[in-house]
Amino acid sequence: MEPCIHIIDDDKSFRTALGRLVEASGYWVSCYESGEAFLASLPASEAGCILLDLRMPGLSGTELQARLVQAAPLLPVVFLTGQGTIAASVQAMKAGADDFLEKPVSASTLRDAIDHALVQNGKRRAGREQIQGLRARVSNLTPREIQVFDLVVRGKRNKQVAHDLKTSERTIKAHRHNIMEKLNVTSLAEMVSIAERLGRMEPAYAVVDPSPASSPKANIPSR
Amino acid sequence: MPRCLPINFPAEVWLTRGHAMPRGSDIRSRRRIWYALGLLLASALVLFPDRNLAAAEIAGRSARVLILYPYDERLPATSIAGETARTRLLEANSGKIDLFSEFLDLSRFPEDVHVGRMVRYLAEKYSDHRPDVVIALGEPSTRFIVDHREAIAPDAKIVFVGVERDSAAKLNLPADVIGAFSDFDIAKTLELARSLQPAAKHLFVVGGSASFDRSWLASARTDLAAAAKDYNTTYLEGLTIDEFVDRASRLPADSIVLFLTIFADSTGRNFLPKDAVGLVAAKASAPIYGPYDTYIGHGVVGGNAATFESMGTAVAGLALDALAGKPIADVDVPYTFFADARQLKRWGLSESALPPGTALSFKEPSIWEEYWPLITGVLVVVALQAIIITGLLVERRRRRAAESESRLRLLELVHLNQSATAGALSASIAHELNQPLGAILSNAEAAEAILRRPAPDLDLIQQILVDIRNDDERAGNIIRRLRGLLKKRNAIDWQEFDLNEVVDSAITILHAEAAKKRVAVSAEQSKRRLPVRADMVHLQQVVLNVATNAMDAMVDAATGDRKLVLQTALHGETKVEMSISDTGRGIPKERLDSIFDAFYTTKPNGTGLGLSIARAIVETYGGKIWADNRAGGGAVFRIILPLVQPI
Repeated sequence: MEPCIHIIDDDKSFRTALGRLVEASGYWVSCYESGEAFLASLPASEAGCILLDLRMPGLSGTELQARLVQAAPLLPVVFLTGQGTIAASVQAMKAGADDFLEKPVSASTLRDAIDHALVQNGKRRAGREQIQGLRARVSNLTPREIQVFDLVVRGKRNKQVAHDLKTSERTIKAHRHNIMEKLNVTSLAEMVSIAERLGRMEPAYAVVDPSPASSPKANIPSR
Repeated sequence: MPRCLPINFPAEVWLTRGHAMPRGSDIRSRRRIWYALGLLLASALVLFPDRNLAAAEIAGRSARVLILYPYDERLPATSIAGETARTRLLEANSGKIDLFSEFLDLSRFPEDVHVGRMVRYLAEKYSDHRPDVVIALGEPSTRFIVDHREAIAPDAKIVFVGVERDSAAKLNLPADVIGAFSDFDIAKTLELARSLQPAAKHLFVVGGSASFDRSWLASARTDLAAAAKDYNTTYLEGLTIDEFVDRASRLPADSIVLFLTIFADSTGRNFLPKDAVGLVAAKASAPIYGPYDTYIGHGVVGGNAATFESMGTAVAGLALDALAGKPIADVDVPYTFFADARQLKRWGLSESALPPGTALSFKEPSIWEEYWPLITGVLVVVALQAIIITGLLVERRRRRAAESESRLRLLELVHLNQSATAGALSASIAHELNQPLGAILSNAEAAEAILRRPAPDLDLIQQILVDIRNDDERAGNIIRRLRGLLKKRNAIDWQEFDLNEVVDSAITILHAEAAKKRVAVSAEQSKRRLPVRADMVHLQQVVLNVATNAMDAMVDAATGDRKLVLQTALHGETKVEMSISDTGRGIPKERLDSIFDAFYTTKPNGTGLGLSIARAIVETYGGKIWADNRAGGGAVFRIILPLVQPI
């Protein structure tokens, strides 16, 4: 899928000109006159980046950025401003801006910024696809297997796991074998890596669900 | 010593005298007489100091003086003489004298019955107030009182005037009846003529054929005998009136004409001498002089005679002496020169050649003489006015200078204010400038990229170029506005313009700053043109000052609630109102007025000049500015300006 460059600027003339330049540089372009307009028509594709005017009436650049963390987390935001104050740029970068350009912006600078943002976007999308794959693999595990997985990746031995789950060591071994097959891994290290990337190493996951029928996330406190 | 005329002073002359006597002459002659009398009294004082002081006191009461007028009270001759005597008597006694006047009316009632009645009446009337002195004016009065003194005033001294020595002799007056006599001296009249016409060679003496005329001629021949030697002397006599007129019209210019009297001409035709002299003088080719002041106004240049005033004064002098108990004797009434200014002018004679003390009649007083108090007053008023006007002009000049000075100061202040505003808005304006500049750059680079393609979209290139031009214009506008904001004025640039334009222009300037401060700016403008006369840059500065203040006041409000509304509307029929309202925290009630004071500020880095300058500007253009709080919160500033008529 072709990445799309989203330009959000209230100044029509500038928006149009920037759109032309970006288009002439060989990208797909989509223009919006305000943050609200962009949120109203969020693109289906998450490939691309956002060129955002910092100062706009209504939803300001930084306010929009805050919303985009939720609405379009994969789209990198490049701020454009006519007046690049240090305070404004620091605030934007802290909030997760990928770049900060000052108007008027030259074609090469803009291209570099867009390319860099698109690389970021690509990385984010790739990472997200990987995680989605891992998540799909984890979702194949039975609730009991997930309980065993969460305990094993935290370095518990089969015996301890069996004790925690009030079952036999053999049963655990069988679960472990099934888990490794389902996750298509050959070592405990790989399992730990998956758990890590899916965020399952958080304390919230380090609990044992007494009722194994619940969802993987609905763990029960260990004591 | 002038020679006495051996003739009776005729009643006609006596009756008609004084009609032509002008006031100026009165006053002059009176003055002269006072002078003479003053001398007389002064000498009397030296001689009889004690008796003079007790003059009017007779046995512990005021002295009584009865003045007898021969005819009725309307006759100028006796009236003038009598009045002069009265005045003199009153003055000499400081008013402490009883004066009585009786008009005998003897010309209308000459019969003895009337005289008898008058005697009985006066005898009865004055029985308890017998006069101490009786002044008789004219011969009839003199005869009356001398004949009846026992009945009317048995103990009184009698003095008289207006009677010739000759007539007096005929009356056989008692020795104690004393008179002031008037003598006519024709030589004195010639003296006047001589001084006026020193180069004259001929002397003509005119006299009629009546017996009075002839006796006059005879006495004149005697009187003029000495003087006649200096002149080629001719006596015109025994002629008809027409012959007199004819001869007079053919006289050499260097002639002196002495007109005595013509009561009748050679044909026996009767005249009043003054009328006869009038006829002759009208045609005369040389100046005519006469011995009667009644001739004045009838064509004579002048002469020498006794005036009625001098008669009155003379007889009053006799009466005063009599009252004082001094011995008195007959006196001569002083004679005076008189002249007619119109005749002097007619003959080209010099006024300055007149003998000293001449009574000049019909003198046209110079404007200065006649109106000197008025002229002086007018000149003083004009001078004062000039001083006041000069003062006012100087004041006006100073005021003008002060005004232009203060205007210049205001202009300088406004310019400082403009610069400060420009400085404050510069960041926003620079940002705003970056929009078109950025657009131009992007468009140009886009065009380059498009042109590098194998099949460039020329329509798009065309569109890009149009956009570049528009953006360039926009950038130019922003810079122009910034320059307008910084424009320095040395004088007010008066223009007539639509107030809505100012609002539009201010909104454009504030646009970027408002965006930065997240303030929504809107305008509710009158649909019609609102023409005002002022300096547009100044009014724009007013809007900018008030609006930036308003935006600063809204920093605490939620971003969505920051609203700045600029409104314009007609205010009545002759004014226009502009209001600028915000949604800030408003203004404390007690500060609504003081916010316009200089150096009043609530902002840490404010100068406190913005609103005071705004007020100074608005007042310069005849307007008013005030602040108020809106019902829904926030402040509203209202500006009223006069509308240029017609709408």
